[in-house]
Amino acid sequence: MEKGKGLVDLCIEAATACSENVDIWRRQRRTLERLPFQLANDLFRRLHRRRLLSPSILEIFQFSVNEVDLRGESCVDAEWMVYLSAFRYLHSLNIADCKNVNNFALWHLSGHSSLNELDLSRCSKITDAGIKHLLSIATLEKLCVSETGLTADGVLSLSSFVNLRVLDLGGIPVTDTALSSLQALTQLEHLDLWGSEISNVGAATFEKFPMLSILNIAWTKVTRMPILSIACLNMSNCTIHSIVDGDNTATATLSKLIVTGAAFIDADQVFPILQLGCLKFLDISCSNIGSFNFLVNLRNLEHLNLRYSQITDGLMEQVASAGEKLRYLNLSNTKITSHALSVLVGCVPNLENISLSHTLVDDTSLAYISMTSSLRLVDLSHTRIRGFVYSGRENSDKMLSLSALQNLSNLRSLNLEDTKVMDEALQPLSLLTELECLYLKSDFLTEISLHAIPSLQKLRFLGFRGAVLTDYGLLSYRPPPLLCVFDLRGCWLLSVKAISSFCKKYQQVQVRHAHVNNPFEDEIVSYGSSASSITTKVPLPRPRRVKSSNTSFVDERVKYSTEELLQLENSTGFSCMLKDLDLLPEILRKK
Amino acid sequence: MKKEDTVKLVSAEGFEFVVDKKAAMVSQTIRNMLTSPGSFAETQHGEVTFPEISTPILEKICQYFYWSLQFASGKETEFHIEPEITLELMMAANYLHT
Repeated sequence: MEKGKGLVDLCIEAATACSENVDIWRRQRRTLERLPFQLANDLFRRLHRRRLLSPSILEIFQFSVNEVDLRGESCVDAEWMVYLSAFRYLHSLNIADCKNVNNFALWHLSGHSSLNELDLSRCSKITDAGIKHLLSIATLEKLCVSETGLTADGVLSLSSFVNLRVLDLGGIPVTDTALSSLQALTQLEHLDLWGSEISNVGAATFEKFPMLSILNIAWTKVTRMPILSIACLNMSNCTIHSIVDGDNTATATLSKLIVTGAAFIDADQVFPILQLGCLKFLDISCSNIGSFNFLVNLRNLEHLNLRYSQITDGLMEQVASAGEKLRYLNLSNTKITSHALSVLVGCVPNLENISLSHTLVDDTSLAYISMTSSLRLVDLSHTRIRGFVYSGRENSDKMLSLSALQNLSNLRSLNLEDTKVMDEALQPLSLLTELECLYLKSDFLTEISLHAIPSLQKLRFLGFRGAVLTDYGLLSYRPPPLLCVFDLRGCWLLSVKAISSFCKKYQQVQVRHAHVNNPFEDEIVSYGSSASSITTKVPLPRPRRVKSSNTSFVDERVKYSTEELLQLENSTGFSCMLKDLDLLPEILRKK
Repeated sequence: MKKEDTVKLVSAEGFEFVVDKKAAMVSQTIRNMLTSPGSFAETQHGEVTFPEISTPILEKICQYFYWSLQFASGKETEFHIEPEITLELMMAANYLHT
């Protein structure tokens, strides 16, 4: 429907409104059996979201549901599995992070005749014995068992899943021997082995998988880039030596390469040798690459992540030379200044997303940025932006530099958190009428700024953190009609009363403040505010020494003692990671 | 009301519902039947039979057509669905792409 909801949605809503409604229709067994998969799956999902699922409800869906996603549900246990395994047409079962699923629970699945995809990631109670129960499921094509209690012995037995296309063994101590036993899996397209114990010896096995296209060997001891005809390679946090031998043209198929945090020995030799003409996605953040000459040949690059890299203004020419098709560029936490952006002008006609967070860029950069009209998302947080430049000789004429941004007609998201902007400098923002997300955070801001931007009618996210905002200022503010999230964290002047009456008045707006008790989801917090979080496919950059946890995510800060943390801060490779801990939950989740 | 402006929807039991064409077009399936060039008999006679949809469900669907038009024109009322018929209605709605 163009407007309003379709009748199917209305029906699902009515059916799942309360448990009394469910009790009325659940007796209509014959109708339930006739439900098309897609409707039954939608209904099932909605019941789950409304927390109306129970083992007895599961039973009525045994002929109509073929996709079950119960991620992170701690109530899922052996009893649930009895009913789920009775789903005759079950195609995909996701019980990742279900901490009460154990080996016995898996026993019920044995011999299932249609199961195609099974995700058991981070179900830490599952061990080798549990996997044995699954061996009788001949139809399995996708199996995720990362961070379970599996050992190398259990991995050996996986070789009987000859139809597997996707195998995720992340965080499991797979040895070279265990890996070579998997050669029987000739259909394998996606293999995840981050954090395993494989070395260069085991890496030779990769050539035995003819269909392989996605390979993740982050956090391993592999030091040589495997020369394979694959599309996607992840070698984050490995120590990479230069390539000694092999057919270098094989890498010509690579379209995505992630080597974040990798330590290159002779980085300047590794890259020039590789044929990377097809490369679209390159993440060399946190790595020690010091020469970017190889970028000149990457004509098809669309995504370039240089966060925490050694890039400097002088090296930007090389980035610019690869800019033709670039859509995403992350330069955050580097030593670049505004001059770097002047180099980019005209070279990046398709750039949509640029992150300059934690760099030395200042107001002069805004003029350069505004020349790339394709930009949709600009992150200038933690920079030297003040919001004005002095144009006259005697510092007489103050010009509002943010007004340059009005040339960016596509701009949807702007991040100015922790810059030095003051109220008066924000005036030009009212011209950015297409803006959907605006992030402001500063001690200098007052409610004047808040009231100066009413023309931004399309705002969906407004961050106004740490500002001097009074109760009166908040209550006299009229949020734009589409606003979903209003982030007021750190506005210390606000009283509980003012916030609650604002919430009551504008119920569609989710307010974030210490006085609001509903804890918000991490995923929305980092939505767009930090461009680096977009690299979702990045494997979990987590140290091997951390034992796999049984909960969905445990804050890394909790896992270490203070002494350990201080030690880590001093060690280089790690200091950069700690700063980005806030991003971790999201990365973990989206994995 | 002119005959060209209406369409007759026939339920499994043979009950006939005469509704505005404009209302019936809320359903993508009916719209396709009525507007596709030539071949469909439905296009000529302005009559569509649904052997799979029972009378009470088809009645509810007709109500929805009119409610949907009202909703689109700004009158935002609630469309009540009795829990007893949610499943049947859901399937019919799915078939009709409404």
